Amino acid sequence: MLKTFITSFKLQNTYRTNSIIYSIKQLPLIKRILPNSLYKNRGLKIFASIISILWEIINIFIGKILYILLMIFMALSWYKTNHADTFIHLFTFLTFAGGVLNTYMLNPTKDKYYAIILMNINAREYGLSNYYYQLIKLVVGFLPFTIFFGWTLGIPLWVQILLPFFILAVKLIAMNYMIYKFKKTNKATSENLPTKFVWGFVGICLLLAYGLPFLGITINSTIFLCISIIAILLGIYSFAKIHNFKDYRKMYKQILTESNVYMQEKANGTQAMKDNSLKQIELDTKYTSKKTGFAYFHDLFVKRHKKILTEAVKKQSVVILVIIIAMIIGITMNENFKTKTNEILLVYLPYFVFIMYLINRSSSVTQAMFMNCDHSMLTYRIYRTPKVILGIFKERLKTLITINLLPAVLIGSGLALLLYLSGGTDNPLNYAILFISIIAMSIFFSVHYLVMYYLLQPYNVSTEMKSSTYKGVQGLTYIVSWYMIQIKMPIFGFGIATIVFCIAYCLISLFLAYKYAPKTFKLRI
Amino acid sequence: MEEIGAGKTTFFNCLNEDVEIDSGKFFIEDNGKQRKMEAEDIGYVLSTPNVPEFLTAREFLKFFIDINKKRIKNEKTIDEYFDFMKIEKEDRDRLLKDFSHGMKNKMQMLVNIIANPNVLLLDEPLTSFDVVVAEEMKQMLKEIKKDHIIIFSTHIMELALDLCDEIVILNRGILEEIDKNNLDNEHLKNKIIDALKEEI
Repeated sequence: MLKTFITSFKLQNTYRTNSIIYSIKQLPLIKRILPNSLYKNRGLKIFASIISILWEIINIFIGKILYILLMIFMALSWYKTNHADTFIHLFTFLTFAGGVLNTYMLNPTKDKYYAIILMNINAREYGLSNYYYQLIKLVVGFLPFTIFFGWTLGIPLWVQILLPFFILAVKLIAMNYMIYKFKKTNKATSENLPTKFVWGFVGICLLLAYGLPFLGITINSTIFLCISIIAILLGIYSFAKIHNFKDYRKMYKQILTESNVYMQEKANGTQAMKDNSLKQIELDTKYTSKKTGFAYFHDLFVKRHKKILTEAVKKQSVVILVIIIAMIIGITMNENFKTKTNEILLVYLPYFVFIMYLINRSSSVTQAMFMNCDHSMLTYRIYRTPKVILGIFKERLKTLITINLLPAVLIGSGLALLLYLSGGTDNPLNYAILFISIIAMSIFFSVHYLVMYYLLQPYNVSTEMKSSTYKGVQGLTYIVSWYMIQIKMPIFGFGIATIVFCIAYCLISLFLAYKYAPKTFKLRI
Repeated sequence: MEEIGAGKTTFFNCLNEDVEIDSGKFFIEDNGKQRKMEAEDIGYVLSTPNVPEFLTAREFLKFFIDINKKRIKNEKTIDEYFDFMKIEKEDRDRLLKDFSHGMKNKMQMLVNIIANPNVLLLDEPLTSFDVVVAEEMKQMLKEIKKDHIIIFSTHIMELALDLCDEIVILNRGILEEIDKNNLDNEHLKNKIIDALKEEI
């Protein structure tokens, strides 16, 4: 078994190394000077494997600290109960939920797919050895943080040490239950597709975890000790069962189907995403169009993709409307709320860059455009003539801007109205600037995503995303928008700056798109 | 004709300007004059069919006819095109996403024929059709080749011998013409196999 594990570890390391080199090779400029023989380069290989192993080590700890910090530690401030007990309480119930949601073994990862399905490695040895490795990582990863956080909260040392082993036991019990179910029904399900029963169980656990402390009820270290002893005894029993189970191959055959495995990669645009996009096509052929040429083509695209285009925006609009109405009611009812709202509105315009970023649909729409349309059409040379590319680009630009405009108009006018109702401003120009800058932001994001898509067209024929530049630009867009949250600036200055920036950006990028898109808009090879 | 992995798809991608070419050039001879190949000159039918799945067969054809209006000689009605390609009446208004592989392939071939490009690139045609349709297609290709340049790749020797005026072998990135003159099929076959072997 150890040998299988070492083989699988090496295998994993090899393709991680290769993907690191591959990403380096995708960077603009650098890719021109790097030859294909790079994958043979020993020095670089060693460098990449060191990064890969470092990543593995960091990986052991980073998820755990984030988990404890975000899910447990930061929640403590909500409750009036004893912090040490609440910590143990949340930890216990979240562990139950996590036990069924994340078993490691039933997670259809690419690693498993490559090893078991493609390379025919012994499924039992592979599954078990990697499972044990994950469990060891679990205990090692949690221990420092349960001790650290436990120590700051004054939890007894024995509880601090027991906590990771408690998780371990719960994981084993959950896994044993899954195997038991598989033996009975002969059906294994990927843990990424939880059944209703699992969701129900998780829901109850979450409710007990976060709900009970509000009522002042938590478990304490004595109860935890009892639960742990039971869990650990059952865990030992489960361990024996899991270890002696023989039919891992059969089980993995069911879990490691291509659609399961590739669903992991939602962000990368693979088959599962394509299937998903295809589902968005409205079967209804009764939508027709009277237009001709690319206007006709685009019109039908829009009509058959109502679900992801217009309907999502309608839902957004309803939510926005409800929030605005709630705010108006709040303002008229409560004087304190009114002055606070006024203060916030006058300096928090930058915050709305992030909100506009979040609600803008263009990123997923361009993705659908590729998956359902350009993916096939780009193989036709005639579709890539400048006339057609720019003709369709223009139609799409109109649609994207219009679609995103509805929520933007609501937000813009809503904000102006709220500003007025909450006490107004000494410069009446502020109302107009508020409204126009929100509209400008919306148009900016629409143009931005479409132009990026046309200039960088990141997908290849099998709908995989192949451009690190595109990912980089997406990341940068997020970071900049997010950074805006921290800025507080008066409406007037920030609004004018935003409007000017958006207009300039749109003009420049449209110019670039018209000039270069006929060359850049093609399938990646 | 070529070995697997010899680079036929790359070759087609070069002609279709999907990839930049490292060296060499290609052009089209028009009335005795050499000129650059334009986008309109090329139709490329891939071995895996690509059709916009949100359109019905009829809508796809209409769009294609619209954008190629100027270049289509003696335009027919959409139904006439369907008849020509032997696409059944009940399939004409179905979404392309529900089409089978072979049907999609037919559609792809049809729009490329309608666009009437001077050069038609076919990557492994006929392989995904059933026997009856493959035979129909073969006859059709014979028909179109009268006034088009058709370049197609295949592993099937009989198809090459049957359809082609000229046979070229692609081996390790090098194109080599097989002189067909005065040889019966049997001799030609041996010659092709020898040519493929000797370069290894």
